[in-house]
Amino acid sequence: MRKDLVFGMAGSGGDGIVSAGDSLLQAAAAEGYHGVMTKSFGSQIRGGESSCRVRIATEPILNPGGNLDVAVALNWEDFLKFGAELPVSGNTVVIYEAATGIKETEIPLVGVTPLQVIAVPIAAMAKETAGTERAKNTVVLGLIAGWFGIGAVAVMKGIRKKLAKKGEELVNANQRAFDAGRAFAMEHPLKTSMAVMPSETKGQVKLITDGNDMCAAAAIFAGCQFFGGYPITPSTEIMQFFTDHVWKYGGAVLQAEDEIAGIGAAVGASFAGKKSMTATSGPGLSLKSEMMGLASIAELPLVIVDVQRGGPSTGLPTKTEQSDLFAACFSAHGDVIRPVLAPTSVADTFRITIEAFNIAEYYQTPVIILSDQEIASRKETLDPIDTSQFKIINRQEPHGADLVDYKRFKQTDNHISPISHPGMLGGTYLASGIEHVESGAPTNSGSVHQRMNDKRTKKFDPLKDRKDLFEVLGNPDAPIAMIAWGSIAGVCREALAMAQAEGLNVKLLVPYLLYPVAEGVYNEFFTSVQKGLIIEQTHLAQTFKLLRMHIDLPKGVKSLARSGANPFLPGEIVAALHHLLSELQRSHEGQLQPQE
Amino acid sequence: MSATCEFQAKDYKSDLKPIWCPGCGDFSVVQGIYRALAAIGRPPHEIAFVSGIGCSSRIPGYTTAYGFNSVHGRSLPIAQGIKLANPDLLVLAAGGDGDGFSIGGGHIAHLIRRNVDITYIVMDNQIYGLTKGQLSPTSQKGRVTCTSRFGSLEEPVNPLLYVLAYGAGFVAQASPTDLAGMAAVIEEAIRYPGFAFVNIQSPCVTYGEEAQQIRGLKAISESLVSLGHNPADRLAAMDLAQHYGEKMHLGVFYRNPEPAPTYDALVRERQALLSKDALPKENILDLFIKK
Repeated sequence: MRKDLVFGMAGSGGDGIVSAGDSLLQAAAAEGYHGVMTKSFGSQIRGGESSCRVRIATEPILNPGGNLDVAVALNWEDFLKFGAELPVSGNTVVIYEAATGIKETEIPLVGVTPLQVIAVPIAAMAKETAGTERAKNTVVLGLIAGWFGIGAVAVMKGIRKKLAKKGEELVNANQRAFDAGRAFAMEHPLKTSMAVMPSETKGQVKLITDGNDMCAAAAIFAGCQFFGGYPITPSTEIMQFFTDHVWKYGGAVLQAEDEIAGIGAAVGASFAGKKSMTATSGPGLSLKSEMMGLASIAELPLVIVDVQRGGPSTGLPTKTEQSDLFAACFSAHGDVIRPVLAPTSVADTFRITIEAFNIAEYYQTPVIILSDQEIASRKETLDPIDTSQFKIINRQEPHGADLVDYKRFKQTDNHISPISHPGMLGGTYLASGIEHVESGAPTNSGSVHQRMNDKRTKKFDPLKDRKDLFEVLGNPDAPIAMIAWGSIAGVCREALAMAQAEGLNVKLLVPYLLYPVAEGVYNEFFTSVQKGLIIEQTHLAQTFKLLRMHIDLPKGVKSLARSGANPFLPGEIVAALHHLLSELQRSHEGQLQPQE
Repeated sequence: MSATCEFQAKDYKSDLKPIWCPGCGDFSVVQGIYRALAAIGRPPHEIAFVSGIGCSSRIPGYTTAYGFNSVHGRSLPIAQGIKLANPDLLVLAAGGDGDGFSIGGGHIAHLIRRNVDITYIVMDNQIYGLTKGQLSPTSQKGRVTCTSRFGSLEEPVNPLLYVLAYGAGFVAQASPTDLAGMAAVIEEAIRYPGFAFVNIQSPCVTYGEEAQQIRGLKAISESLVSLGHNPADRLAAMDLAQHYGEKMHLGVFYRNPEPAPTYDALVRERQALLSKDALPKENILDLFIKK
């Protein structure tokens, strides 16, 4: 039996593909499986093509998976639009709508012979059992339950709950559609059984959420009481979560008139003493960059989430990419260090968001969370998180003697000055975008500017020693290495496990802190490295170049970079590692020890 | 809210020496603000004063309060964030005509429709002074400046008509030609419960034209009280506002006799209403449990 199965489904907008994926994921969670679901759309709001990918496994899942084990095409035209996002291989079972009229031997997948191809009269079954083709997605869920053993009970339990308010007849119609799908599967067994093992953790509580909701929930947990933003795909759900919940915690949310006003209000709220946040995607990040410079020079804590999508400009607004890295690190004018953090999954978005607030508050600085469309929009099943393990840091406020002749930007040993806020007696000062002396009074002095730039950059030095913001996986002394961040780190984690299983002596560095570049951490990591790959979803190899700017990379370390919406598959990364190994063997015959 | 105690105008004057040109109208404006604040009597630490960029935007630095001299055109978004974060504060925003009606021109409509309780003071001198004399959004058509050598080709913005049309609850105009009147109007604006706008014709002594100096302004000034204008009459206010540029009407154009609830008050109401539904923060992830 299988431990891991990747489903990919595509159809047109009204086919209920995503809703089927949601049902499947929830059913899998109820049955104790781990699951990840990603969605991908065309940019049309209604109609157009729609797809989802659901990976279900008995072990924790690191990424949405590579080639599909099961492909479901409600029509071929829409399925083919997703190309590399729904890759079919020789190990894939392909299920498609018989009404397409295409023979099983003539499906339009070029250059691949799937494991098995099955035409199913999905629409006809829906019509016959439920009286409407809209039940197609329920038929598909029945087929999945029948063939792969997932959700036989839980799917209908979920649907029953979801539709309870809409009346018994609709629930019954769906039950008939589901049963018909399941019966079809039973009557037409697969040539090779692909049923998934029952999970040992059935019955345990699981959470299901996506990266955007996780980020917003973490922000509120960290004490964020103000959100200012403007709708932009794929970050908008963060603002939506705030509008649903932040009031309950004495906070406020503003859907502003534009991106600038959104961050402006967040800067104002921070000045007023509240933890605050804004969220956007690439084009919005460009609009916000002047305000980010202001928050840096005024030393105001602020968290900015950038959910990356394909760019520049509107680019690929519904697809993931990592190409805002340079913009996140460097889009400020002037000499500025602005910390940039990146989560790698929905689960660690919780921790990274809290870190972002802690760093913002402690260092009195804007911090960017560089999420991406995949993490933000994908749903994961998660084991409950013990929130008591997280420490919350609040900005250092002036007390007693600090407030006698208070100097807002006072030089201190750690370059961090206690910060007052309106309402605090004795703490009045002028915050400003203009250079200022310790009191906050404006100045044109070159020597003050030099000193203040020192203050505002040196304060970040301790951040570069935060080894806990990096993860090294695999053999720490390995000669072959990978570096990857964000959603790509998940693919590389799986590639690492596969490569190790094949005997490669390899390691992986996952940075959660991207900027300032922690030279020491990388230099230590590279000590053993002779060959390596910096793997990223950018066309310009931005990560590779950012690291090369700060570090003398070993000669054998190369870039593996490509544009967004062209996913990396763990298998191809393993192949690339094998290639590095053979290069290494040619140059250092006999030196390489296989890993135990 | 603090206990009221006596404050005098000088208590709001900071130690910074203004960099304005001698004779600049903004000297009077800052005096007017000190007087208005003293009349209201809120202690300096309960006041947040936000500005953008420009000569006039230096004004928070010359006022004892929590000042914020921010970026060009963005005093209002920042002031709004401050007010929503802490509605107990007295929040002022100020800047020039370029700051408010050109680069930041998109914000005022939204502050007005939200009715955030902020007082916005524009020092309108019809010129970009800090960048040394370029055409501004309120410069008259035909005006010769260093970016309009052959005369401006554009009609100016009419700030008064704009904000009245956007639905502002309080709209007034003042000028250094009448300092006591200015202080009174600013005080009334601050006391108004909602978004309040005060346009101040503040002459630029360096780049302003003759007609825009104190003597010229006096010649076209007319008090709205003396005209018998009823500030509850919005249409009459709009009628008068059409004369912006030819006449300088001083006083209150419009004061909504039935002020709408402010956004900040509505935010508080919502917080109070929903706070009973809050999961303890440490359990917030329970929202994601699918049962």
